[in-house]
Amino acid sequence: MSVKENVVQEPPCTNQSLSNYLWKEKPDENKWADCVHCGMCLESCPTYEVTGQEQHSPRGRVHLIKSVAEGKLEVNEQFMDPVFACLDCKACTTACPADVDVGGLIEEARGQVRQALPLTGWRKMVSSFFLKGIFPHPSRIQTAGQLLKVYQKSGVQSVVRKTGVLHVLPDHLKTMESVMPKIKQPVRKKYKHEEVIKAKDKTKQEVAFLTGCVMDVMFSDINEATVNVLTRNGNDVAIPKQQTCCGALHVHAGDRDMGRKLAKQNIEAFEHADTVITNAAGCGCMLAEYPELFREEDTEWRERAEDFAKKVVDVSKYLHDTGYEKPEAKLNTTLTYHDACHLAHGQGVRQEPRDVLLDIPGVKMVPMANADRCCGSAGIYNITNPDMAGDVLESKIENVPEEAEMISMGNPGCMLQMAMGVEKHGRNQQIVHTVQLLDWAYQKEDQERGRK
Amino acid sequence: MFRRKKALKTEDTHIKQLADIVGPKEVLFHKEDLISYESDGFTIHSHMPKAVVFPKNTEEVAAVVKYCADHDLPFLARGAGTGLSGGAIPLNGEVIISLVKMKRLLHVDLENRQAVVEPGYVNLKLTHSISDKGYYYAPDPSSQYCCTIGGNVAENAGGAHCLKYGVTTNHILGLEVVTPAGDIIEIGREGIADVPGYDLLGLITGSEGTLGIVTKITVRILKNPEEKQTVLAYFDRVEDGSRAVSDIVSRGIVPAALEMMDKIAIEGVEAAAFPVGHPKDIEALLLIEVDGISAGIEEQIDDILDVCKKRNVRSVKVAQDEKERAKWWANRKTGFGAMGAISPDYLVQDGVIPRSTLPQVLQKINEVSQETGLRIANIFHAGDGNLHPLILFDARVPGETEKALEAGSKCLQACADAGGSITGEHGVGIEKREEMRFVFTDQEIQAQTDVREVFNPHYLLNAGKLFPSSGRCAEIKAEQKKAASE
Ligand SMILES: Cc1cc2nc3c(=O)[nH]c(=O)nc-3n(C[C@H](O)[C@H](O)[C@H](O)COP(=O)(O)OP(=O)(O)OC[C@H]3O[C@@H](n4cnc5c(N)ncnc54)[C@H](O)[C@@H]3O)c2cc1C
Ligand code: SF4
Ligand code: SF4
Repeated sequence: MSVKENVVQEPPCTNQSLSNYLWKEKPDENKWADCVHCGMCLESCPTYEVTGQEQHSPRGRVHLIKSVAEGKLEVNEQFMDPVFACLDCKACTTACPADVDVGGLIEEARGQVRQALPLTGWRKMVSSFFLKGIFPHPSRIQTAGQLLKVYQKSGVQSVVRKTGVLHVLPDHLKTMESVMPKIKQPVRKKYKHEEVIKAKDKTKQEVAFLTGCVMDVMFSDINEATVNVLTRNGNDVAIPKQQTCCGALHVHAGDRDMGRKLAKQNIEAFEHADTVITNAAGCGCMLAEYPELFREEDTEWRERAEDFAKKVVDVSKYLHDTGYEKPEAKLNTTLTYHDACHLAHGQGVRQEPRDVLLDIPGVKMVPMANADRCCGSAGIYNITNPDMAGDVLESKIENVPEEAEMISMGNPGCMLQMAMGVEKHGRNQQIVHTVQLLDWAYQKEDQERGRK
Repeated sequence: MFRRKKALKTEDTHIKQLADIVGPKEVLFHKEDLISYESDGFTIHSHMPKAVVFPKNTEEVAAVVKYCADHDLPFLARGAGTGLSGGAIPLNGEVIISLVKMKRLLHVDLENRQAVVEPGYVNLKLTHSISDKGYYYAPDPSSQYCCTIGGNVAENAGGAHCLKYGVTTNHILGLEVVTPAGDIIEIGREGIADVPGYDLLGLITGSEGTLGIVTKITVRILKNPEEKQTVLAYFDRVEDGSRAVSDIVSRGIVPAALEMMDKIAIEGVEAAAFPVGHPKDIEALLLIEVDGISAGIEEQIDDILDVCKKRNVRSVKVAQDEKERAKWWANRKTGFGAMGAISPDYLVQDGVIPRSTLPQVLQKINEVSQETGLRIANIFHAGDGNLHPLILFDARVPGETEKALEAGSKCLQACADAGGSITGEHGVGIEKREEMRFVFTDQEIQAQTDVREVFNPHYLLNAGKLFPSSGRCAEIKAEQKKAASE
């Protein structure tokens, strides 16, 4: 068979009318048209590293998504598997020379899957309980947080651990329970009577702060540290009351309608801010991607989303770009830095947090191999895909240098996952957020001044 | 959500038997899982495999091969699937033996400057894992971030730095191979540069997966050069750029790398993920690297700058630090994929020509572009005359794919006419089977398929690749004759 004969027999064309995407917001043809099937993304992908299988690689996923549009495959369970096993880590976006938006395609494909195969049974219950019932409602998260707090304080936690009631939990949830942070008072509650939290000295500018939904309850001390660090460096900090969950978990799960609802609420809540600060890489990345949600919507919201997206900035980059006071106190420690996917690949923030950390006297940084490789946290991925998440985590922990005493990063989801990894693999590093370290250094400086 | 794979649900006995060999988790057979394997880096053809298996060691490879051979199942090996000539496409519904799970670095012997790797080990990982000790692995195809050393051996891959250091075959010291009958053989001896008898290493290297499946590779590793300098030169005329290439080499300088890009290629890389900020209006750029012991590097750089000036260079600069150098190389090495940013599809051709004919062949390629109305970008290893015309097209437009193929073939014809050859490093695969006739007579092709028959008598391993179809007809006739006489 000559080359030409073969081509005539199977014209490699995409034919819209054959498409098996039957619902609105179809995966965008222009996104896969950019893919030239070169494979340069393969090694960047954690799920390909673990499985070695093409359909679990970025190139394979793009090809699958395209094949459904060409009518070669249907949206079914077998298609769903690779599409939902993607970690949304965006490492492929960094690696791809043609700038293919693999993540965007996958989210659109998930939207189709969710409409084709609505969740049933316990999955539906769990999903709607958390994604619809809890995350969008700060007060309910606080209540859940309260319960957790009582659970931890009351001693029930230790009783439960000792008596082994936990044995009924699957292994990965057991480990997660044991590393849950101690619940303190959420920042939004603490500052609820203040319109803006004033800068410590002279005001340079005003910024608005997205506290995050789970973040503010589970990791309130990181939010506290963020507010401290910002106000210390001449920023008035506003915490708009109307703000809500960023919607990342919903969009990753294929629920784009809920994602849009939350996006609109946040866009309105931050309408008057010039700068929107985030300290959770996952949230920051989602906010910056709001325009994607309105691709097929009316232009008004698309434009508002675009304006909003431009205002979003991660706290480490903001400090780095606008200037900050270098702490004077020494924090003698050896640390290593983990690039959260949604900071490094999602927002291109790599050097800034490292520079901030290195400005703290006494901090010694040891590099981590593959620092920008996903830890497997990826939102609620570690709950829904425990096996894959566990494998990805294991290879991450192997790269943590022995001599590091702390691992610093800019995303609470990663912090929980890394804490689990450290615990599970018998390591002893302390997990910290970049702004926390800076805040500690400031506090130490103040104490030392006070003593003098 | 990721489901734990349950017990194998299939009635196909072949699949069940294969699963017995490699384990149920290591066999793919659902349409949805197989479709990603219907092509490699060459997307103009596609065909579904019967199954994909993932052996973990040589014994499993041999057992799978034996099973296929005993049951008349066509099969082929696959590495990362970055091949650009369709070598890993299962034209006959093959069982694909994927080697990506055999990805260990088995042994490093610095004293004897060699390393032993499994075939699925990724090229760049080798350099990464020995660089702290001051060593590296020289062959550096642009796909080195993800292609496998097994695939490199099969394609005899080259790269930017092969001008000075030679292509893959110059760095292979020993191979373990599973023959198409399922036997395990060793070729070459560790630590010994040459063995008497036929050069089987040379034969297997570059045989495009048609003679056997490579399961272990001993490679040569080199000490990092003491110093390295990189030059970037912009030209207003392609002709000046190509003359500069010849001049540099004829002055007796052997650069480690000497790469060229033309205007359309520059448009592509600048629109993509790793832009450098090249001016948009230049016609050609050269990326030149010299390395070696520190003494003499400065003189070579001066010589190169001098040549560029004599050839009317618009501007030329030397990389100031490692960061700048890395940026230039990332821009160059991601060049093919970058075409995705300016065109939905591309077909990359791979011809070799005598260096001195560069200006005229580039001119000819330009004419092909005008005739077919398709844009053609050129990114290539100018130093060793290895051209890579990238034909930009849109497969969704009826007729464009055929036009692209035709343009590609014409470019190769131009190379052959200039006294060159039809492949420098990407192999023949499916893509250039017919074009083999540009450089070989029927008898010459026959002689080569006779060699294949010694290794691959039942022709189950990677059939339909490397040689044109009538070559195959002749061979089938020969087979029939043999059968009749037996
Ligand atoms: C963006 C891009 C840039 C590239 N740049 C270059 C370059 O600069 N230089 C260059 O030479 N090539 C280049 N290539 C081509 C390609 O990367 C090489 O041919 C590479 O060697 C293929 O390796 P692979 O692991 O992807 O093999 P595959 O594509 O999986 O297989 C290629 C062939 O080798 C056979 N094979 C694979 N593994 C084995 C094995 N273990 N035993 C026997 N046969 C086997 C297969 O059957 C097939 O015929 C480029 C490709 C891309 C996409
Ligand atoms: S997604 Fe990008 S890197 Fe991956 S195969 Fe497609 S073009 Fe290449
Ligand atoms: S987002 Fe991460 S897991 Fe998903 S395809 Fe890209 S690299 Fe792989």
